Amino acid sequence: MGDRRRRRRLAAAATVAGLMFGTAACGSGSDSAGSSDPNTLEVWTRSNPDSAATYDRVFAAFTKKTGIKIDYQPVINFDQQLQSRASTKDLPDVMINDTALMGSYQSQGLLKPIDPASIAGGDRITDKSWSSTVGIDGKHYGIPYSRQAQALMIRTDWLKKLGLKAPTTWQEMLSVAKAFATEDPDGDGKADTYGIVAPASAQNGYAAWWGASFLWQGGAQIIAPDGKGTYTPAMDSAAAINAVTWMKDNLFCGKKGVVQPGAITAVTATATNFQDGNAGMYMTGPYNITTFDATPGKDKYEVVPAPAGPAGGDVLADGENVYLGAKTGKDRQELALASFLVSAEGQKIAMTSVDGHQPVVRIPVNSTLDAAKVRNDARWSVVQKAYEDASEQFPNAPDFAPIKQDTADALNAIFTYCGGDVRSQLKELNDTLAGDLKDQDLLK
Amino acid sequence: MTATVTAPAAREGTGRRAFDKKAVVPWLFLAPGLLLALVFKFWPMAKGIWLSFFDVRPFLGDKWIGLENYGRVLTDHRFQDAIGHTLILGIGQSVGAILLGFALALLLEGQARSLKFLRTAVFLPAVTATAVVGELWRLMYYPTSDGLLNSGLHFFGLGTVQFLDNPDIALYSTMVMGIWIWAPYNMVIFLAGLAGVDRSLYEAAAMDGVSLWQRLRHVTLPAIRPALMIVLTLATIRGLRVFTEVYVLTGGGPAGSTDVWMTRAYTLGFTRNDIGGASAASVVLLCVTLLLTVLVNNLRKRGEAR
Repeated sequence: MGDRRRRRRLAAAATVAGLMFGTAACGSGSDSAGSSDPNTLEVWTRSNPDSAATYDRVFAAFTKKTGIKIDYQPVINFDQQLQSRASTKDLPDVMINDTALMGSYQSQGLLKPIDPASIAGGDRITDKSWSSTVGIDGKHYGIPYSRQAQALMIRTDWLKKLGLKAPTTWQEMLSVAKAFATEDPDGDGKADTYGIVAPASAQNGYAAWWGASFLWQGGAQIIAPDGKGTYTPAMDSAAAINAVTWMKDNLFCGKKGVVQPGAITAVTATATNFQDGNAGMYMTGPYNITTFDATPGKDKYEVVPAPAGPAGGDVLADGENVYLGAKTGKDRQELALASFLVSAEGQKIAMTSVDGHQPVVRIPVNSTLDAAKVRNDARWSVVQKAYEDASEQFPNAPDFAPIKQDTADALNAIFTYCGGDVRSQLKELNDTLAGDLKDQDLLK
Repeated sequence: MTATVTAPAAREGTGRRAFDKKAVVPWLFLAPGLLLALVFKFWPMAKGIWLSFFDVRPFLGDKWIGLENYGRVLTDHRFQDAIGHTLILGIGQSVGAILLGFALALLLEGQARSLKFLRTAVFLPAVTATAVVGELWRLMYYPTSDGLLNSGLHFFGLGTVQFLDNPDIALYSTMVMGIWIWAPYNMVIFLAGLAGVDRSLYEAAAMDGVSLWQRLRHVTLPAIRPALMIVLTLATIRGLRVFTEVYVLTGGGPAGSTDVWMTRAYTLGFTRNDIGGASAASVVLLCVTLLLTVLVNNLRKRGEAR
């Protein structure tokens, strides 16, 4: 216990030091025992000290089993730090980070290709998960590690007080949102409650990330694959225009209070209204379940499938992959770690919360496990079902970062200026996206 | 003959030894700082300039593309908008912080103990992390009557103002926070300048019965001219490379209405992974900053010569 606490503090200190010294600190870290000892793997995850504590348990179990040591670095501003490390041509051996970044990393040559057959137990990972790690050249560049899909978190006590039911369509969701905003669901006599939480800032592409589920539910796509490895931008389609217009007219430019105040400058870190107890709905990932069980409280909200739009109820799915850094000569050790991470044992350790720390595997990629059973919590089956039956991911093969950023910039501008013309704004976005695809030689 | 030859040589010898000893000691003291600056400042700077000519792909090999990055950055309409925002924010923030700093310095100049306490309190924003200040102001700007500023407006029967979410005023809201942060910093420099004003001049002015404005104009301002120049130079540099204030408060939003040069460069480098382009944008900023600093310095020299 004391040991773990000390290690957590160390991890936190290392993160802070990493933040302060940027490249320098990381550079020196890799020169030490870490990368020169063939039996030690340097592993990076995008984690805060809280989830780092869970990773610590996973890696300790791995070391105990195989004798391979782990030099573990939780990194909060992962992408910035990784770019700095890449510029010194010295990468961590193993990285665990978002699925949607694979194309970006691969286009920069940061990743080693992976043969699924070389991963012991790789056959227990579903084809759907494996297919999401295929790069632009048809090779695999990541090993699926954790998956998740968005779901609607909704205040059950508010619904009960107003005599409403959890919404299943966009229209119902809108009327519930309006009721939450105007009918004083918390009963304090003040108009200080809001319908839906929206992190719709363009910063880090949040507007596109949060808005993606709405686009798919409206039948739209950001870019459309043609099956031959190239893409066409698709944000000028009638479906996209309808979906974006619906969001603009109803959520951002409609009645006050449907979304929380300040939504168009909010990022996920500042969109805490559901947690603060003044907003009633939040479409977000299941990692928030641990947070929301503390506040507003486990008995105050439930997890339901996202309300369906005109084209269905598909939500954004994403997750984390295990990536192997290019050009390190420790293949055997790296594959051993990857195999352990996706094994039933490794996934179970990462799925359980000890001392209230955030679990790092949400929906297991190992098909022998069931999220709801492992956690003994039925709410997880909602998320697992959404992932398996009604979810879409950002295309992972292209470098999606510029595409997401440009989409977010355009959506944020549309939601900000209520007088604008959605059709022409989306046409402009489509031209920008065509430029992004052309830069990557992926434009059909 | 021999004497004339050896004498200067000997003198030269002793001269060099004396020079050595005298020169080495300060360099020794400077060495750690210089070394740190070299490793953490000048080397990355040189590398940044070098990278700005490449399509940066560390593991695939950087591709030389000459001035293409510069062309791309300078013709990008988002960057062009950012120049405008940077100028408005930089100038507004600098002028505001200088005026407010000067006013604070005049008010808080003196020896009294209570003034010391007040000065410390007023100086706090300048030593608080900008990220913390940003969060604080975000709460104050909260766009409902729960927010501190809006509850004030509400009290006077005025409607709520969307300080950060209205693209027409978000930039000015950021500016106000910038002024709040930097005014106390300027105040300290002004206070140092005011301490050097010859008191007898004030007394003489009082005997002549001049107005407050005349006293300021003819006694105080000329006396703090050097301090003003320092503040102006610092403010110019700071104004151009403004980043943290904007990044923590609005992230460049809404709809890019507060995007400044540095936030653009950051987005380019770190969310779009275009290190070459981001380097080019930073080099442009470096050149402009150097140019303006030289300009301000020249103005100062001309002013002093006069």
